[in-house]
Amino acid sequence: MAIDRRHLGYALPPFTVEVTPARIALFRKAIGADAGAPDIAPPTFMKAVEGEQNSSRRILEALGVDLKRVLHAEQQFDYLGPIRAGDTLTVQRTVTDLYDKKNGAMDFIVIESTVSHALRGLLGRSRQVVLVRNPQARAGAAA
Amino acid sequence: MRLDQARPGEQVAEYQTGPIPREQLALYAEASGDSNPLHLDPAFARNAGFDDVIVHGMLGMALLGQLLDTQFAAFTLGCFDARFVAVLPVGQSLHCTATLAERTTTTLTLDLEAFDSTGKSIIVGRASLTPPA
Repeated sequence: MAIDRRHLGYALPPFTVEVTPARIALFRKAIGADAGAPDIAPPTFMKAVEGEQNSSRRILEALGVDLKRVLHAEQQFDYLGPIRAGDTLTVQRTVTDLYDKKNGAMDFIVIESTVSHALRGLLGRSRQVVLVRNPQARAGAAA
Repeated sequence: MRLDQARPGEQVAEYQTGPIPREQLALYAEASGDSNPLHLDPAFARNAGFDDVIVHGMLGMALLGQLLDTQFAAFTLGCFDARFVAVLPVGQSLHCTATLAERTTTTLTLDLEAFDSTGKSIIVGRASLTPPA
Protein backbone atom coordinates (compact mmCIF):
# COMPACT_ATOMS: atom_id res chain seq x y z
CA MET A 1 0.00 0.00 0.00
CA ALA A 2 1.51 3.26 -1.06
CA ILE A 3 2.16 5.80 1.65
CA ASP A 4 -0.12 8.80 1.34
CA ARG A 5 1.89 11.58 -0.28
CA ARG A 6 0.14 14.10 1.93
CA HIS A 7 2.70 13.09 4.58
CA LEU A 8 5.45 14.76 2.56
CA GLY A 9 6.84 17.50 4.79
CA TYR A 10 5.59 15.87 7.99
CA ALA A 11 7.76 17.13 10.84
CA LEU A 12 7.94 16.38 14.52
CA PRO A 13 8.05 19.38 16.84
CA PRO A 14 11.73 20.14 17.59
CA PHE A 15 12.92 18.46 20.75
CA THR A 16 15.96 18.73 22.99
CA VAL A 17 18.36 15.99 24.01
CA GLU A 18 20.76 16.02 26.95
CA VAL A 19 23.99 14.22 26.07
CA THR A 20 25.18 12.96 29.43
CA PRO A 21 28.61 11.34 29.83
CA ALA A 22 26.80 8.11 30.78
CA ARG A 23 24.85 8.25 27.52
CA ILE A 24 28.03 8.38 25.44
CA ALA A 25 29.67 5.72 27.62
CA LEU A 26 26.74 3.34 27.11
CA PHE A 27 26.83 3.90 23.35
CA ARG A 28 30.58 3.31 23.24
CA LYS A 29 30.14 0.09 25.20
CA ALA A 30 27.36 -1.10 22.85
CA ILE A 31 29.56 -0.68 19.77
CA GLY A 32 32.72 -1.98 21.45
CA ALA A 33 34.53 1.35 21.20
CA ASP A 34 37.70 1.48 23.24
CA ALA A 35 39.68 4.06 21.24
CA GLY A 36 39.13 7.78 21.05
CA ALA A 37 38.21 10.44 23.55
CA PRO A 38 35.52 9.26 25.99
CA ASP A 39 33.78 12.66 26.03
CA ILE A 40 33.41 12.91 22.22
CA ALA A 41 30.53 10.97 20.70
CA PRO A 42 31.31 8.31 18.06
CA PRO A 43 30.19 9.25 14.52
CA THR A 44 26.92 7.32 14.47
CA PHE A 45 25.85 8.59 17.91
CA MET A 46 23.98 11.29 15.99
CA LYS A 47 21.43 8.56 15.21
CA ALA A 48 20.85 7.99 18.92
CA VAL A 49 20.38 11.73 19.43
CA GLU A 50 17.83 12.10 16.65
CA GLY A 51 16.10 8.87 17.70
CA GLU A 52 15.42 10.23 21.18
CA GLN A 53 11.81 10.24 22.43
CA ASN A 54 11.01 7.34 20.10
CA SER A 55 11.00 9.86 17.27
CA SER A 56 11.55 7.37 14.43
CA ARG A 57 8.68 5.18 15.57
CA ARG A 58 6.44 8.23 16.02
CA ILE A 59 7.16 9.36 12.46
CA LEU A 60 6.48 5.89 11.03
CA GLU A 61 3.26 5.57 13.02
CA ALA A 62 2.14 9.02 11.85
CA LEU A 63 2.64 7.77 8.28
CA GLY A 64 0.62 4.61 9.01
CA VAL A 65 3.55 2.25 8.48
CA ASP A 66 3.60 -1.30 9.90
CA LEU A 67 6.87 -1.67 11.84
CA LYS A 68 7.14 -5.33 10.79
CA ARG A 69 7.66 -4.21 7.21
CA VAL A 70 10.35 -1.64 7.89
CA LEU A 71 14.06 -1.88 7.12
CA HIS A 72 16.72 0.81 7.26
CA ALA A 73 17.94 1.16 3.65
CA GLU A 74 20.38 4.08 3.72
CA GLN A 75 21.94 6.50 6.18
CA GLN A 76 24.00 9.61 5.55
CA PHE A 77 25.65 11.93 8.05
CA ASP A 78 27.29 15.31 7.52
CA TYR A 79 29.45 16.49 10.41
CA LEU A 80 29.97 20.17 11.12
CA GLY A 81 31.20 19.87 14.69
CA PRO A 82 31.65 17.25 17.39
CA ILE A 83 28.92 16.16 19.80
CA ARG A 84 30.36 16.29 23.31
CA ALA A 85 29.36 14.99 26.71
CA GLY A 86 27.36 17.68 28.47
CA ASP A 87 25.83 19.09 25.28
CA THR A 88 22.18 20.08 25.14
CA LEU A 89 21.09 19.59 21.54
CA THR A 90 18.02 20.51 19.53
CA VAL A 91 16.75 18.01 16.96
CA GLN A 92 14.47 18.75 14.02
CA ARG A 93 13.18 15.83 11.89
CA THR A 94 11.21 16.13 8.67
CA VAL A 95 9.90 13.70 6.03
CA THR A 96 11.47 15.14 2.87
CA ASP A 97 10.68 12.50 0.24
CA LEU A 98 8.30 9.60 -0.39
CA TYR A 99 8.63 7.28 -3.38
CA ASP A 100 8.05 3.67 -4.37
CA LYS A 101 9.70 1.05 -6.55
CA LYS A 102 8.71 -2.26 -8.15
CA ASN A 103 5.04 -1.41 -8.65
CA GLY A 104 4.62 -0.45 -5.02
CA ALA A 105 6.31 -3.55 -3.59
CA MET A 106 8.76 -1.21 -1.90
CA ASP A 107 7.94 2.18 -0.40
CA PHE A 108 10.74 4.54 0.60
CA ILE A 109 10.56 7.25 3.26
CA VAL A 110 13.30 9.86 3.46
CA ILE A 111 13.70 11.56 6.86
CA GLU A 112 16.14 14.44 7.16
CA SER A 113 17.26 15.65 10.57
CA THR A 114 19.39 18.42 11.97
CA VAL A 115 21.21 18.45 15.30
CA SER A 116 22.09 21.87 16.66
CA HIS A 117 23.72 23.39 19.71
CA ALA A 118 22.58 26.77 21.04
CA LEU A 119 26.09 28.27 20.98
CA ARG A 120 28.02 26.15 18.46
CA GLY A 121 25.22 26.11 15.89
CA LEU A 122 24.51 23.26 13.49
CA LEU A 123 26.61 20.22 14.47
CA GLY A 124 25.27 17.69 12.01
CA ARG A 125 22.78 16.70 9.37
CA SER A 126 21.35 13.24 8.92
CA ARG A 127 19.44 11.69 6.03
CA GLN A 128 17.74 8.35 6.60
CA VAL A 129 16.02 6.23 3.95
CA VAL A 130 13.50 3.75 5.34
CA LEU A 131 12.34 0.85 3.19
CA VAL A 132 8.80 -0.45 3.70
CA ARG A 133 8.30 -3.91 2.23
CA ASN A 134 4.84 -4.58 0.81
CA PRO A 135 4.72 -8.27 -0.13
CA GLN A 136 1.07 -8.17 -1.22
CA ALA A 137 1.86 -5.50 -3.78
CA ARG A 138 4.61 -7.68 -5.26
CA ALA A 139 2.34 -10.73 -5.33
CA GLY A 140 -0.34 -8.63 -6.93
CA ALA A 141 2.07 -7.30 -9.53
CA ALA A 142 3.26 -10.81 -10.37
CA ALA A 143 -0.25 -12.25 -10.70
CA MET B 1 49.68 -0.68 2.95
CA ARG B 2 50.77 2.75 4.09
CA LEU B 3 48.10 5.34 3.47
CA ASP B 4 50.48 7.90 1.99
CA GLN B 5 51.66 5.39 -0.61
CA ALA B 6 48.24 4.00 -1.47
CA ARG B 7 46.65 4.55 -4.84
CA PRO B 8 42.92 4.77 -5.53
CA GLY B 9 41.34 1.34 -5.42
CA GLU B 10 43.80 -0.04 -2.89
CA GLN B 11 42.66 -1.20 0.54
CA VAL B 12 44.10 0.98 3.28
CA ALA B 13 42.46 -0.35 6.45
CA GLU B 14 40.35 -3.17 7.83
CA TYR B 15 38.49 -3.89 11.05
CA GLN B 16 37.24 -7.29 12.17
CA THR B 17 34.45 -7.64 14.71
CA GLY B 18 33.69 -10.68 16.79
CA PRO B 19 30.34 -12.49 16.51
CA ILE B 20 27.53 -10.07 17.40
CA PRO B 21 25.45 -11.75 20.13
CA ARG B 22 21.86 -11.03 21.23
CA GLU B 23 23.16 -9.28 24.32
CA GLN B 24 24.92 -6.72 22.11
CA LEU B 25 21.70 -6.08 20.18
CA ALA B 26 19.90 -5.48 23.47
CA LEU B 27 22.66 -3.16 24.63
CA TYR B 28 22.64 -1.29 21.32
CA ALA B 29 18.86 -0.96 21.49
CA GLU B 30 19.18 0.61 24.94
CA ALA B 31 22.11 2.84 23.95
CA SER B 32 20.57 4.05 20.69
CA GLY B 33 16.90 4.13 21.65
CA ASP B 34 16.10 1.88 18.67
CA SER B 35 13.80 -0.63 20.33
CA ASN B 36 12.42 -2.13 17.10
CA PRO B 37 11.56 -5.73 18.11
CA LEU B 38 13.01 -6.94 14.79
CA HIS B 39 16.36 -6.83 16.62
CA LEU B 40 15.17 -8.20 19.97
CA ASP B 41 12.21 -10.54 19.63
CA PRO B 42 12.74 -13.76 17.61
CA ALA B 43 8.98 -14.32 17.23
CA PHE B 44 8.52 -10.81 15.83
CA ALA B 45 11.48 -11.33 13.47
CA ARG B 46 10.02 -14.62 12.20
CA ASN B 47 6.69 -12.92 11.69
CA ALA B 48 8.53 -10.29 9.64
CA GLY B 49 10.01 -12.99 7.41
CA PHE B 50 13.42 -13.63 8.98
CA ASP B 51 14.80 -16.79 10.63
CA ASP B 52 15.85 -14.91 13.77
CA VAL B 53 16.50 -11.37 14.94
CA ILE B 54 18.79 -9.30 12.73
CA VAL B 55 21.57 -6.88 13.64
CA HIS B 56 20.57 -3.20 13.63
CA GLY B 57 21.81 -1.65 10.39
CA MET B 58 22.99 1.25 12.51
CA LEU B 59 25.04 -1.08 14.71
CA GLY B 60 26.77 -2.34 11.57
CA MET B 61 27.38 1.26 10.50
CA ALA B 62 28.70 2.05 13.98
CA LEU B 63 31.18 -0.83 13.60
CA LEU B 64 32.24 0.57 10.21
CA GLY B 65 32.66 3.85 12.09
CA GLN B 66 34.94 2.04 14.51
CA LEU B 67 37.30 1.43 11.59
CA LEU B 68 37.39 5.21 11.08
CA ASP B 69 37.71 6.01 14.79
CA THR B 70 40.52 3.53 15.39
CA GLN B 71 42.57 3.93 12.21
CA PHE B 72 41.86 7.50 11.09
CA ALA B 73 41.70 9.06 14.53
CA ALA B 74 43.83 12.05 13.54
CA PHE B 75 41.45 12.94 10.70
CA THR B 76 38.28 15.01 10.99
CA LEU B 77 35.21 13.23 9.65
CA GLY B 78 33.13 15.30 7.23
CA CYS B 79 30.61 12.85 5.75
CA PHE B 80 29.79 9.22 6.44
CA ASP B 81 27.23 7.37 4.28
CA ALA B 82 25.99 3.79 4.27
CA ARG B 83 23.65 1.64 2.24
CA PHE B 84 22.36 -1.47 4.00
CA VAL B 85 22.40 -3.95 1.13
CA ALA B 86 21.70 -7.16 3.08
CA VAL B 87 20.58 -8.04 6.59
CA LEU B 88 23.03 -9.61 9.07
CA PRO B 89 21.58 -12.34 11.30
CA VAL B 90 22.41 -12.27 15.01
CA GLY B 91 25.58 -14.18 15.91
CA GLN B 92 27.43 -13.23 12.73
CA SER B 93 30.57 -11.11 12.58
CA LEU B 94 31.50 -8.27 10.25
CA HIS B 95 34.70 -7.74 8.33
CA CYS B 96 35.03 -4.03 7.52
CA THR B 97 37.33 -2.64 4.84
CA ALA B 98 38.36 0.83 3.69
CA THR B 99 39.64 1.41 0.16
CA LEU B 100 41.14 4.67 -1.02
CA ALA B 101 38.68 6.35 -3.38
CA GLU B 102 40.25 9.77 -3.85
CA ARG B 103 42.81 11.96 -2.19
CA THR B 104 43.23 15.70 -2.56
CA THR B 105 45.28 18.08 -0.44
CA THR B 106 42.22 18.81 1.67
CA THR B 107 40.12 15.62 1.61
CA LEU B 108 40.57 11.89 1.87
CA THR B 109 37.66 9.88 0.48
CA LEU B 110 37.31 6.22 1.45
CA ASP B 111 35.05 3.54 0.05
CA LEU B 112 33.85 1.40 2.93
CA GLU B 113 32.35 -2.07 2.91
CA ALA B 114 31.31 -4.56 5.57
CA PHE B 115 31.08 -8.27 4.76
CA ASP B 116 29.76 -11.27 6.65
CA SER B 117 32.04 -14.27 7.27
CA THR B 118 31.16 -15.76 3.86
CA GLY B 119 32.22 -12.59 2.05
CA LYS B 120 28.67 -11.43 1.35
CA SER B 121 28.34 -7.66 1.24
CA ILE B 122 26.20 -6.31 4.09
CA ILE B 123 26.93 -2.57 4.09
CA VAL B 124 28.44 -0.37 1.38
CA GLY B 125 29.54 3.07 2.44
CA ARG B 126 31.75 6.06 1.92
CA ALA B 127 33.46 8.56 4.18
CA SER B 128 35.26 11.80 3.53
CA LEU B 129 37.79 13.05 6.03
CA THR B 130 40.03 16.07 6.43
CA PRO B 131 43.67 15.24 7.12
CA PRO B 132 45.33 16.66 10.24
CA ALA B 133 46.82 20.11 9.64
